[in-house]
Amino acid sequence: MTEDRIDLQRRRIFAVGCFGTGAATAGFLAATFRFLVPNVLYEPSRRFDIGSPAEFPYGSVTFLPDRRLYVFNSADGFYAVSSECPHLGCNVRHAASGFECPCHGSRFDENGRVVQGPAPQPLAWYAVSLSPRQQLIVDLDQTVGPEFRLRV
Amino acid sequence: MSQTLGQRTASWLNAVGRSVWRIGWPVTDKDRAAVMISSIFLHIHPARVSRHVLRPSATLALGLISGILFVVLSVTGLALMLYYVPYPPEAYRSMKDLQFVVTFGVVLRNMHRWSAHGMVVVVFLHMCRVFWTGSYKAPREFNWVVGVMLLLLTLALSFTGYLLPWDQLAYWAITVGTNIAAYAPLVGDRLKFLMLGGHFIGPMTLLRFYVLHCVMLPLLMLILVSLHVWRVRKDGLSGAEVHRAPAEPAEEAAGLFPASTKTHGLMALSRRPRASVEARDPNDEVFAWPHLLFRELLVALAVVVVLHVVSLVFMAPLEEMADPTRTPNPAKAPWYFLGLQELVHYSALVGGVVVPTLIVAALVSLPYFDRRRAGIGRWFAPERRIANTIFTVLVIISVGLTIIGTLFRGPNWAWVWPWN
Amino acid sequence: MGVAVELKSTAPVRLHVAFACLGLAFLIIFSWVLFHEETAEWRTTQAQFARLEGTVKNPHQLAESARVGGLRQIWLPELGRVDRCGTCHLGIDDPAFATAPQPHRTHSGAWLTTHPPDRFGCTACHDGEGQATDYRNAAHQPQPFVTRPMRPLETIEANCGTCHRSIDPLDAPRLAEGRRLIIESGCFSCHDIPGFEGLTFRGPALDSLGYKVLPDWLASWLEDPKSYLEQSKMGNFRLSADEIASLQGFLLSQRAQVPLDSTGVDWKRADTRNGRALFGEMRCVSCHAVNGRGGTMGPELTRIGDKIRRNWLFSYLKDPHRVQPDTPMLQYRLNDEELRDLTAFLLEEYSSAGAVAEPPPAAYQDARAIAAGRAVFERRGCISCHRLPGIEDSGRVGPSLAGVADRDPDELPYGSEIVRHTAENYIFLKLLMPDALGLPSSMPTFGFTPADAARMTLALASLRKADLPASYVLKPPPPKPYRPAGRFGELMSRYRCLSCHSVGGFGGDLSTVPLDRIGSQLIRDYIVTYLLNPGAVRVSVEARMPVFHMQPDEANAFADYLSTVFLDDSMEGYDASFTAADARRGQELYLQLGCAACHQLGTTGGYVGPELSTTGTRLKPGWIAAWLTTPSVYRPGTLQPDYGLSSADARALTAYLSGLGRSGQATASAGGAR
Repeated sequence: MTEDRIDLQRRRIFAVGCFGTGAATAGFLAATFRFLVPNVLYEPSRRFDIGSPAEFPYGSVTFLPDRRLYVFNSADGFYAVSSECPHLGCNVRHAASGFECPCHGSRFDENGRVVQGPAPQPLAWYAVSLSPRQQLIVDLDQTVGPEFRLRV
Repeated sequence: MSQTLGQRTASWLNAVGRSVWRIGWPVTDKDRAAVMISSIFLHIHPARVSRHVLRPSATLALGLISGILFVVLSVTGLALMLYYVPYPPEAYRSMKDLQFVVTFGVVLRNMHRWSAHGMVVVVFLHMCRVFWTGSYKAPREFNWVVGVMLLLLTLALSFTGYLLPWDQLAYWAITVGTNIAAYAPLVGDRLKFLMLGGHFIGPMTLLRFYVLHCVMLPLLMLILVSLHVWRVRKDGLSGAEVHRAPAEPAEEAAGLFPASTKTHGLMALSRRPRASVEARDPNDEVFAWPHLLFRELLVALAVVVVLHVVSLVFMAPLEEMADPTRTPNPAKAPWYFLGLQELVHYSALVGGVVVPTLIVAALVSLPYFDRRRAGIGRWFAPERRIANTIFTVLVIISVGLTIIGTLFRGPNWAWVWPWN
Repeated sequence: MGVAVELKSTAPVRLHVAFACLGLAFLIIFSWVLFHEETAEWRTTQAQFARLEGTVKNPHQLAESARVGGLRQIWLPELGRVDRCGTCHLGIDDPAFATAPQPHRTHSGAWLTTHPPDRFGCTACHDGEGQATDYRNAAHQPQPFVTRPMRPLETIEANCGTCHRSIDPLDAPRLAEGRRLIIESGCFSCHDIPGFEGLTFRGPALDSLGYKVLPDWLASWLEDPKSYLEQSKMGNFRLSADEIASLQGFLLSQRAQVPLDSTGVDWKRADTRNGRALFGEMRCVSCHAVNGRGGTMGPELTRIGDKIRRNWLFSYLKDPHRVQPDTPMLQYRLNDEELRDLTAFLLEEYSSAGAVAEPPPAAYQDARAIAAGRAVFERRGCISCHRLPGIEDSGRVGPSLAGVADRDPDELPYGSEIVRHTAENYIFLKLLMPDALGLPSSMPTFGFTPADAARMTLALASLRKADLPASYVLKPPPPKPYRPAGRFGELMSRYRCLSCHSVGGFGGDLSTVPLDRIGSQLIRDYIVTYLLNPGAVRVSVEARMPVFHMQPDEANAFADYLSTVFLDDSMEGYDASFTAADARRGQELYLQLGCAACHQLGTTGGYVGPELSTTGTRLKPGWIAAWLTTPSVYRPGTLQPDYGLSSADARALTAYLSGLGRSGQATASAGGAR
């Protein structure tokens, strides 16, 4: 074999080695990143049981302070609105027509849309569903629009 | 001269690259020499090395492997630190989490443990190699002492890490280890109290061991390793020295090999009576780039591949959670201390204090007592028969005692046959 | 210029080949690692569930299916538990999956309604390794290094007991039985058992044993109690012949109480037939079984004649409280002749050898034997169950059973038994054969059946080492002791009402009638009549109230007190001015509702409930109305149906029933009217 051919062969083999090592290293870095993402969280669940429908009488508005939610049982069904003001996080108060925030004066309508004040976006609405055991479940990871109603 | 956009972009990128790397991919000899000293990471290496030390049999790359294992341990250890909680019983729970719900947690944990054990073995073998090639003799005496410090540091790191899983194996191994330490005269009890952060192994102990294991000892290790490698550079490799050209002639060398005309840009005037680049036969030298580096890369790759295989096949142990009220029978120290525990079985003072102190004292003082210059750089040089024999016998005894402690001792430290 | 000659060496080919191989090896191995992560067991299981969901066709579930994916975790910091079982058991809380294959199947029963997973997790009841995410590591089967693998369902009630600390928890029959067995067997006399504090278990006092028992009997009893009494609560202490002899001497020298004087009794004129009649009247078998039938509150009397001396038995029947102040047995009011007849009957009828001449009580002189016997008595801890003045109670002789379920199985001696080393196996073996497990033991052999031992083991397996947060522990307060004073208290003590009846939950349960509101239930005069002569109101009940031979003034004292104090205000003041129309309507209802199926009226009717012909003389109208309206409030689990009666209908029935038995005409018309 001539020196050039040996060289070429050598170069090809070297390339294979580079490819293998490079790919594996890239995989290793990807794996390291995946490692960093936690798979379980030691936090209260984002999807929780707030009670049976009977606990929220027809036409009522119930404030759940430890969940920071207003739960409505209206004519066309249940819905849940977050009480966290989108401005800086205070709890809004439910007034006759909508909500108002005591901290910086933001005002929201019945649907949570900003009417007045420094809040940059409307109040969040969360999905409410019924569990197989007929309990109301609120899911903080599923936001819905103000037309959402759960008929029970 | 108007350049095209493409050319201008390429040259701009080139300039960005040069600002970072200073020297591009070396293609000329001058570049190959320059790249070694232009990069902070690469300038551990000399520009040129004797080709004799590129042979595997020169040093078996044991020092390099230890270094690689240390890097692996640091990387895997850092990753594990993101999930491990150093407070009992959360410590045990977080170990189980690593095993069950963290992606690649099992592999990383296994790799950390097996490379830790591997590093103890490799460091020990490295010490044997250095002895058997007489590479502790002048001018390398101090480096040998630093190496002994590094050996002790490796053992300390392994020992502090052993407690962290907080399972029965960990808890009782550390109980035995700290109790052996307590046998030191005068300071034993205080030493144990300081190690434990109290009178018994509890949350404060775990915290101390954790900080030692993750911060203090690795920092110390980094400093000493840097010193160690720097001394290797300054003192030169004994394997190269043995192939040194005959003693520098005055006139004939002057014509062929002008002295001190190195163009490597060293700022300091270094005193180099021996083992210097010029004193060697230049025909024996090759550029570190690519020859040394390529071989180092291969060694690193081999170590990583072997570690992966071992980590995938062998699970690191995790027993039940530590229970101070339940002592397993037998309760064994980590394997590298089992030789000592075997001796402690006969006499705690002798086995736990006298023998280790003697061993360390002997190791540290060795190069200052053995001043003969014969046999440096050669394996099992016949001139050093006596020294080699003594050392080999001691090695065999240590290994034998460790094997006995591991395999031949059962409940109540009674003799058992391992195949039963 | 190049001073140094570069050696002709790009690296040799073999190095390149090594590089290529290592690079590829690294790549392959790493790919395998990635693949391994992606094909985790739980992902396969979740994929199966997603396919199943499609077939279940529950719209809620289909919306849920968007949520399937990823690990699921229930974190209970209070209990220190992390349960990831829901990762694979996705259908556990969804009734739609009742018929799906495991692990997708719904949880059985209504357990998840009473024990929602987000408050209790799974491993609190089922054990296992909650943090794991695959079948093997979750310890569905015993795994090395897992202290508590999943519990088989037969013994799962042991875990109910860690939170439910009452003696008789609902829906845990095995646990309740185990706890009841522990109470009956008196384990807490020798062992400190959490949950059984404050209970007393007393064997008979031994301070008059010299006068009480025949020596031969005592020797055979000490050797093996079961030879005399099959249901003996005292275990076999495996005493040596020497120990028996010296213990016998010690015990027979106990003569603190001389029996009552019976010299005036003419034993030759004892009438055993009268004795037999008295035996029936006094309903002794309600508490004392003979020939295998009867109650268990007192000892069996099948062979009492082999054991007891005649004078002592006479004295005891005359005044049991003199010798055994805390015995549940009551003191009847019988004269000496009646006592004589009863004693003679018992000794003749219930002995194996017929009437034998008793050896006179010998005076035991050997001080050394007595001292040796006393040493045996103290060493074996007899004082735990048998009081004896002069011997101090030096604490429980057995080890504490707190946290026994978490004892280190490797430290317990199993002898040569080839069983898996678990604390529960050890407890089970120890109950069955205490002396055969390696180390010598002073625990007596109780002769439990394996079934009973299994139940008791289950109850003991709920004794864990770790404390639970208070919000998880259910321990009902113990019933407040009821100890009345004065004349009423004296009478209650003499006749031991609380051995069978309870007040405020305190007392016995042999009678099904608690006394808390008895004054509102029964007409006062009827109480007097009944106490003087307890007749049968129900046909189908074995245990009956005994004939006390009470004096009329005692009966009146009882009736006065009960009618004044044990009242229920909601029943007092019921307007009992009924009209004839009410009574007629009541009679109609009686027929309509078919009460005759269970109740007898006159000569017809069923035997399930009490007969009603005399209701007007027995029960107060307020009680009748309340009972008819909501029977299960007053007796949970009663067979009396709740007809959902309106108050008008209840009133009508009450009017009708209150008229029965008073003037006689109601019985005839009830029998005839159709």
